[in-house]
Amino acid sequence: MDESDRSLMTKIFSSYYSQAELEIVGIEQREFGVGFSRKIESRHLAFAHPSELRNYLMNNTPFFVSHSISYYEHPAATPMEKKIWMGADLVFDLDLHAEGKYGAYPLLDKVKSDLSRLVTDFIKGDFGCKDVMLAFSGNRGYHVHVRDKDFRVLGGEERRELVDYIMGNGLNYRDFFSEGGDKIAKLHGPRPDEGGYRGRFAKLALKAVQDDPSSIHRGLKQEKARDVFVKGIMEGNWSASPVKKNSELIERLAPIAKMLPVASVDTDAGVTQDLSKLIRVPNSIHGDTGLIAKVFDATELERFEPLRDALMPASQEIRVRFLEDVPELPLRGEATGPFKKDEEKRLNLSIASFYVLKGSATIIKR
Amino acid sequence: MDDKELDFAVKYPFTDEARKAIAGITLTESIADRGVERIKRALEGDMRASVSLRGSDKEESIASFAASRMILGFLRNPFLTSRFAVNEAKIAHGWLDRADEKEVDAVARIFGIATTPEKGLMLITLPVYLRFSPRSVDYRITNRRLIRGMVEITYHEKKRLVEEAVRKHVERIPLVKDPPELIKQAGEKLLDSLPKTQAGSGKLPSGAKVEDHPPCVERLMESMRKHENLPHQARYFLATYLMAIGMNDDDIVQLFSDAPDFKEKITRYQVTQIRKRAYSVPSCATTLTYGLCVAVCRIGSPLNWHTLGKERKSLIKQQMAGSMERVD
Repeated sequence: MDESDRSLMTKIFSSYYSQAELEIVGIEQREFGVGFSRKIESRHLAFAHPSELRNYLMNNTPFFVSHSISYYEHPAATPMEKKIWMGADLVFDLDLHAEGKYGAYPLLDKVKSDLSRLVTDFIKGDFGCKDVMLAFSGNRGYHVHVRDKDFRVLGGEERRELVDYIMGNGLNYRDFFSEGGDKIAKLHGPRPDEGGYRGRFAKLALKAVQDDPSSIHRGLKQEKARDVFVKGIMEGNWSASPVKKNSELIERLAPIAKMLPVASVDTDAGVTQDLSKLIRVPNSIHGDTGLIAKVFDATELERFEPLRDALMPASQEIRVRFLEDVPELPLRGEATGPFKKDEEKRLNLSIASFYVLKGSATIIKR
Repeated sequence: MDDKELDFAVKYPFTDEARKAIAGITLTESIADRGVERIKRALEGDMRASVSLRGSDKEESIASFAASRMILGFLRNPFLTSRFAVNEAKIAHGWLDRADEKEVDAVARIFGIATTPEKGLMLITLPVYLRFSPRSVDYRITNRRLIRGMVEITYHEKKRLVEEAVRKHVERIPLVKDPPELIKQAGEKLLDSLPKTQAGSGKLPSGAKVEDHPPCVERLMESMRKHENLPHQARYFLATYLMAIGMNDDDIVQLFSDAPDFKEKITRYQVTQIRKRAYSVPSCATTLTYGLCVAVCRIGSPLNWHTLGKERKSLIKQQMAGSMERVD
């Protein structure tokens, strides 16, 4: 990105910030960090009011702006101890790792199912959190901000415990089962109406019995055998299966246990655990993409498409020249590209910004 | 204050009731001396306690706890403070074991530990559970019934949570900058009476360089130096690892002397047992389930750290540092 590209980007960002929704819970207790060419070049900034932040962003226009997940009595004080910690949001970072500059974008949609499980099953379901906000990260993932007051006081280690739970670290589904009770070795196991991993395991097993019974045992292909097995599981009795030995049944259920945690995406342990962490300001622009770290409601998750919904609002068009080959992407709800190196194209300003900031295009000067 | 209330205050000297019981009492040399004794008992791991004291003796016993805290606030030695907190918490647990449910609840309530009964067990809110459960495998939420922010625990576990809450509470000792002369003297007396090794040398045994351990071990050694109370699995892991890299028993015991509940005899016995039975160093997968893994080394066993080249090592550490800096 050359100087003139950069100065145009700055103007676009500044104009976006003049209108942007910048409400931040506890803004006066947050530390801010900004960067012009990388994420954080200076930190320990503080803003008493959203309008102060807006003015700063309009006039100084950093390419990256983050705020602390923590609340402090003196957010601008240094060193850290002098800030006086008052608590912190619980923040989860779902980040996608993929090959190539544009490799992650087609996969963003897949992360949504993990995000949905993380929020519905784990954060709201198992943890019982209520104040949950979702935001696009502005590039390759999503952030979940949890602000329930009784979770704010948790320390780093205690947060690590939550991350481990979500990732299923130390989870052994064999511990769900126990033998005994009656004369015949009865296998006690989880019921579908139980909470946490136990309940989910039972539900997944029931689903497998219905959808693909032979994945557990050939004998379950018979409807009658299936019904007996299912009826047992509903009451936490796993003995009523065509599998002779309890231990063998448990081993045959191993593939179900693998589906339990949110494993395909790193719920970044560092972010959740590190209380001095700064996280991208919701609704601010990610300087590597020009995409907005857009806030959306959990109920909108299914419909939210970052490459359509997180572009800056813009109606003007501008000509760019591509500096490298770029694959096709669905930007602003339309198939865009592919583009070849040296190709010149008139594009919507927000789309042009995306390619310029990615280092794939440059603006053609008149 | 009636006898029952006074007994409650003697048993749980960290409560408001205790503060009230000694409100009118002035510090005497005898109280300060008992404060010193109380800390020394903690160093010996002496958890015995009794309320079979009479009248003013009870008040002096409560006051001795306050005196201990002032001495510790003046000395600002994290090792002493930590040992004291562990011991006082264990004493309190001893009382809880002998108490009825009403009394347990009264102490639990101080720390916001409230439970609701559920089919012979109890439910507690997740944040409170996380704050006060010991960091050990048995208490990991992965292995617990967890539903809508409530964790299932037993009555026994509830008391263990209260113990942990007491420990954390007692450990937070306000700084005492300019204490009464009696406290200063008591503090000096206490330091003089300590064998030199017991105060925790903070030095690493020869043969072990901090720079050259895998990140998980470095983290544990750092915690140890800060006199943090490491869970059993962490200590076991550390001991097997140090043995494997060739450290002798004396040096290992010395290293563990920084632990807040250090008892040389017990530590030495455990270290000897580990060596005798040739227990192996837990794999990376196991350290992960213990919650001790802190980096992405991809080496399978912490011992393989020593087979890595310099560049790879620094890359792993950079990535660790990087993950702290990343915002995306």
